[in-house]
Amino acid sequence: MSAPLPKRLWQKFERSRVGRSIFRVGLPESNLERSQAMVSSFLLHMQPAKVNRHSLRASYSFGLGLISLYLFLILVGTGVLLMFYYVPSTERAYDTMKDLEFVVSAGLLMRNMHRWAAHLMVLFVLLHLCRVFYTGAYKRPREFNWVLGVGLFLLTLALSFTGYLLPWDQLAFWAITVGTSIASYAPYIGPKLRYLMLGGNVVGQEALIRFYALHVFVLPAVAGLMVAIHLWRVRKDGGLSHPNEPGDVVEQVDLGQLPTNKTYGLMELARGTTLQVGQNPDDEVFSWPHLVFRELLLFLIVMAVVLFLAIFWNAPLEEFANPIHPPNPAKAPWYFLGLQELVSYSAFWGGVVVPGLLVTALLLLPYIDRKRQGVGRWFARERRVAITIFTVCLLAAIAFTVIGTYFRGPNWGWQEPWKRPPPAAEGH
Amino acid sequence: MNEATPNKDLSRRGFLEITFGWLAATFAVAASAIASVRFLVPNVLYEPSLLFKAGKPDDFPEKSVTFMEDERVFLVRQGNTFRCLSAVCTHLGCTVNRTEKGYHCPCHGSLFDDQGKVESGPAPHPLPWFLVTLSKDNRLLVDKSQTVLADKYLVV
Repeated sequence: MSAPLPKRLWQKFERSRVGRSIFRVGLPESNLERSQAMVSSFLLHMQPAKVNRHSLRASYSFGLGLISLYLFLILVGTGVLLMFYYVPSTERAYDTMKDLEFVVSAGLLMRNMHRWAAHLMVLFVLLHLCRVFYTGAYKRPREFNWVLGVGLFLLTLALSFTGYLLPWDQLAFWAITVGTSIASYAPYIGPKLRYLMLGGNVVGQEALIRFYALHVFVLPAVAGLMVAIHLWRVRKDGGLSHPNEPGDVVEQVDLGQLPTNKTYGLMELARGTTLQVGQNPDDEVFSWPHLVFRELLLFLIVMAVVLFLAIFWNAPLEEFANPIHPPNPAKAPWYFLGLQELVSYSAFWGGVVVPGLLVTALLLLPYIDRKRQGVGRWFARERRVAITIFTVCLLAAIAFTVIGTYFRGPNWGWQEPWKRPPPAAEGH
Repeated sequence: MNEATPNKDLSRRGFLEITFGWLAATFAVAASAIASVRFLVPNVLYEPSLLFKAGKPDDFPEKSVTFMEDERVFLVRQGNTFRCLSAVCTHLGCTVNRTEKGYHCPCHGSLFDDQGKVESGPAPHPLPWFLVTLSKDNRLLVDKSQTVLADKYLVV
């Protein structure tokens, strides 16, 4: 019985001089080669050769972090393409958006993919954060990785915000106006911060180019670096959290006490919990193919969903920016409507204090909630207090978002969604 | 001098090296940070002037409130008195709309009376009034960099 034709062709290529020069290990046939394939490939080496069965269980992690990463990659890909047409000028930006929609081949598709992937990324980073919280996966030794994750969540929001400003439509103009005005309520540095963000006192060309530089280079570069460290720490902190963790195994090797007649590899001097410590080898399977194939499958699903959304729904583009009149009501994208509802009570309390306290609480969480109970299980009973507090905050955020989205009409007045919106009462 | 210094104590040379080393490193980092942030603060602005001519007094009917789009202000004429009210909401900078009794902000619903005072909503301050004077060529001159009290009029 011979292998199917594509596989035979591939193997022929792989064994050729050129194939061998490219791939250090061919398609693995033995367990040794399965390990080698993972370790010796640039793209795969950031992952372990063997992986815990628990980590592969979709019902544990739901792949939320990986989905976020895939969305980020889709955003980088489509974003770079959009850069070939987009011009960050208040006079031309809107026209280039129209070109992308009506003139450029596949321009509409790329823009739609970029926008919907961005919305999905905000959603999935948030869901990932919730998953890590509800499974207690931020506890020692993963505290700092949680902090990095919170940073990445904020970066995701910053990337979205700087992104939807670029089309220079009504949404963009009034979002910069309102967003930078919220910043000006920050104590002491507020007005200076606004001046720095806008590159002046009014919303115009200087502000657009600043947000463009942040959106296409600064923020993605920082986010990419932090994603790398985030993934690195997942490995170094012992892989995905799971219920049978060995506890605090911190091997600290005193170099002075090592016997001098032995040669040590660097691996043996590694500090901290490694994947192997305290684990039953029977719980582990080879990453190739078990992990790698699941990851590829997940990528296909994410790509399919983004494509589906991009083909059937167009990204919003409002009218050309009008510095005289905001739309009525002027609504941010859904993920900022909770914040918008909060600032409609008070810009300082709702726009600075409450978000500031929430972010601080998230950053400090792993250092406050230090009990190592209930790690690796969803909704562990031992963590009732922490889970209750987090859930209340989460529900409040959702409630404010729902109110901002569905219950606010013209002039941000209360309006039940099932009642028909009255005709615009106040003339322009 | 030489014999009393044990190895572990800091020598004069070591002390100087550490002190100046750290000072130099701190200075280098601080100077780079300050220069980078300062670089981002613009020194020249190409923004419209805050001082503008609104037109001849007779361009505005008696007892009228005129919205001046480009300047985002309301020019208020009552009899032969002139005042100028900012149309920029003091909450988060949206343009307020005129209503029968005052002004209403579409973004977060702040409500102002016809004197610019906050009646309801999140706006923290009243809408400011700007200084109105008469230029030499007999035009209304509004200075948006100078606010005045609501009861200060230009009488023509």
